[in-house]
Amino acid sequence: MNKTRLKIYLAAGLILAAIASAAALNYKSGWMPALKPLDFLDFTESCDHTAGYLVNIMDDDGNIISKVARGVAAGDEIIQSDGKHYRVTKVGGNYARAKLEGTDRQYLAYCEYYAKMAVPVTTVARDGRNLVGIYHTHSAESYVPTDGSETIPFRGGIYRVGQSLANRLQKQNVNVSYDRTPHDPQDNNAYYRSRRTATRLLKDNPVALLDVHRDGIPDADYYKRNISNTPVTQLRLVIGRQNPNMRANLDFARRMMAFANKTHPTIVKEIFLARGNYNQDLMPTALLIEAGTHTNSGQEAANGVALFADAIPTVLGVAGAPGGVTGAAGTGGAWRALAWILGITLLGGGAFLVISSGGLKQAANRLSSYVGREFTGFLGPVRGLRQRITARRRTTPDHGEGEYNPDANEIDGENRKKIR
Amino acid sequence: MTRLPVGMIILLIVAALIFFGLAQRALDRMKLSDKGALAVIAGLIIGSFIDIPVWGGRYPVTVNVGGALIPLGLAVYLVATAGTSREKIRSLAGSVITALVIFGLGTMVMTGLPEPSGRFGVIDALWLFPLAAGVVGYLAGRSRRGAFVSAVMGLLIFDVGHYAWLVSRGAPAGRADIGGAGAFDAVVIAGIFAVLLAETVGEVRERMAGGPSEKGKARSLISALRKPDLDGEADAAREKEEGSGRKLGFWKRGKRERESKGGVQE
Repeated sequence: MNKTRLKIYLAAGLILAAIASAAALNYKSGWMPALKPLDFLDFTESCDHTAGYLVNIMDDDGNIISKVARGVAAGDEIIQSDGKHYRVTKVGGNYARAKLEGTDRQYLAYCEYYAKMAVPVTTVARDGRNLVGIYHTHSAESYVPTDGSETIPFRGGIYRVGQSLANRLQKQNVNVSYDRTPHDPQDNNAYYRSRRTATRLLKDNPVALLDVHRDGIPDADYYKRNISNTPVTQLRLVIGRQNPNMRANLDFARRMMAFANKTHPTIVKEIFLARGNYNQDLMPTALLIEAGTHTNSGQEAANGVALFADAIPTVLGVAGAPGGVTGAAGTGGAWRALAWILGITLLGGGAFLVISSGGLKQAANRLSSYVGREFTGFLGPVRGLRQRITARRRTTPDHGEGEYNPDANEIDGENRKKIR
Repeated sequence: MTRLPVGMIILLIVAALIFFGLAQRALDRMKLSDKGALAVIAGLIIGSFIDIPVWGGRYPVTVNVGGALIPLGLAVYLVATAGTSREKIRSLAGSVITALVIFGLGTMVMTGLPEPSGRFGVIDALWLFPLAAGVVGYLAGRSRRGAFVSAVMGLLIFDVGHYAWLVSRGAPAGRADIGGAGAFDAVVIAGIFAVLLAETVGEVRERMAGGPSEKGKARSLISALRKPDLDGEADAAREKEEGSGRKLGFWKRGKRERESKGGVQE
């Protein structure tokens, strides 16, 4: 008992010492100015203009292919509006290196498909089955030039952008369910809270679920464009890689980028595959949209999503046009997502079985005994029949004419019926 | 999208089947029989559609039956029926620690302007929670049940904390839908994955230590680890074996079990 108590005191002492030294370093760090451990826990920090949070992603030749205000990780992918597909290979400080993986054939195929498709003038019937759900996980996000601040708790400038998207969709007779629930504070847990909002929207059976955000890079010109004679900010579509449905969501994003860029060229800048889930596991047609950055004007961001909205009815098939998610262009993404889920389940389950039973052989034994036990009822008739047939073969030569057994005959008959 | 394509329908069905299959395996270890686990899953699914409004002042508060009440009920049942008071304390302490860890990681560390999930947005909240709860629950009691209780109660404590934050900030708008995403709420997902994590870690540790050892363990513990003794057959056999029918007193029995405890407990 004393030993345990000693251990507890020791552990508590070590924790206290660690906290004390971290605090000391934080406030008196003359000998190592860069190291401020407690900045890690700085609740009020907004790291917009600190260089550490702008990551320039460059290709092998040193050209900047993307700028993001996020923690980039090796394995993140970018599909640009011209179809170039990059994969991040190395991350260090403010720079990340991405390798060109060629062109994204699926995306180019969609571009070609939509280019050939005769798009009907959208006449959407208000039949209540063409609902689009819109919400904001980060409801404090704002635009400095128009809102005066980059974050306004509970009522950020992002609501104006969401409203613009909703209005434009409604103009095209698409039903919109725009949920204005704030999910403050702006942090990772906001997704935990917005998951409830997303599910509430799902109960109305929408065809798509859009989570509207803005980026946080300092460079306003990176997004600012003049498209279709309108000053806008370009958009980035973000797909979470920590999501079993990822392939299906990515497929939807490819269609959206292909058709939106056909309608209003380069309105969608790129698709970014990042770490995260972003509640996209809830629906294969869930998307996260980043409309410009905080240094852009809110109005330009609102214009940008409005142009994007023009493409939504056709891609979702609610305009009665071919080529929607339900249309002829196929659903490769869903099948691929299915293959991934099944593969991961089999691999994970198999690995667990091998570890828990202590070897391949034991695992196989366990599996066969499990199948034997659980499927006895199901396979019973087949087995019974097989046993009876072998038993009769064995007995027939001995008894010449064979004995008539009414019970066995009846059971055999029953079994045959069941098998048929 | 008035009709869903076949691929997507199958994707949704298979994903749901795998999720509920995993849930059944996890609940199976929560002092529930196979049928009990299935009943809980049915409750989770049906309960997902039932939101109970609760008075919350200026902010609407709802409690979802499938996403909050049923997991909470199960967690309370597990704590109430825990074998020793130490186990109870450990699960409750695990819950509080989980809530703090989630607040610390999700709100204080992964915050700020970088999109979409703040700086250090290494992992989505949905997967961070079961990971944190699984680790805390496992460390608190090397127990799957502890992991489940820590995950479910930890997240619910965190939810209550968020409501208190809304009130204290005097937020102009806001709502608390506790467990609002029903069977797919982070509360349920965290509970299930925390159990599976504890189980995987437990099995790997046990295997690395040379496999399960029955030597020196109380008979009751071994039989409890094997299969739920629903018919009381093992108990009857044990009593018969112990001969005179003399039962150990509660304290002595508890002490014996504590002394022989090692490896993973369910």
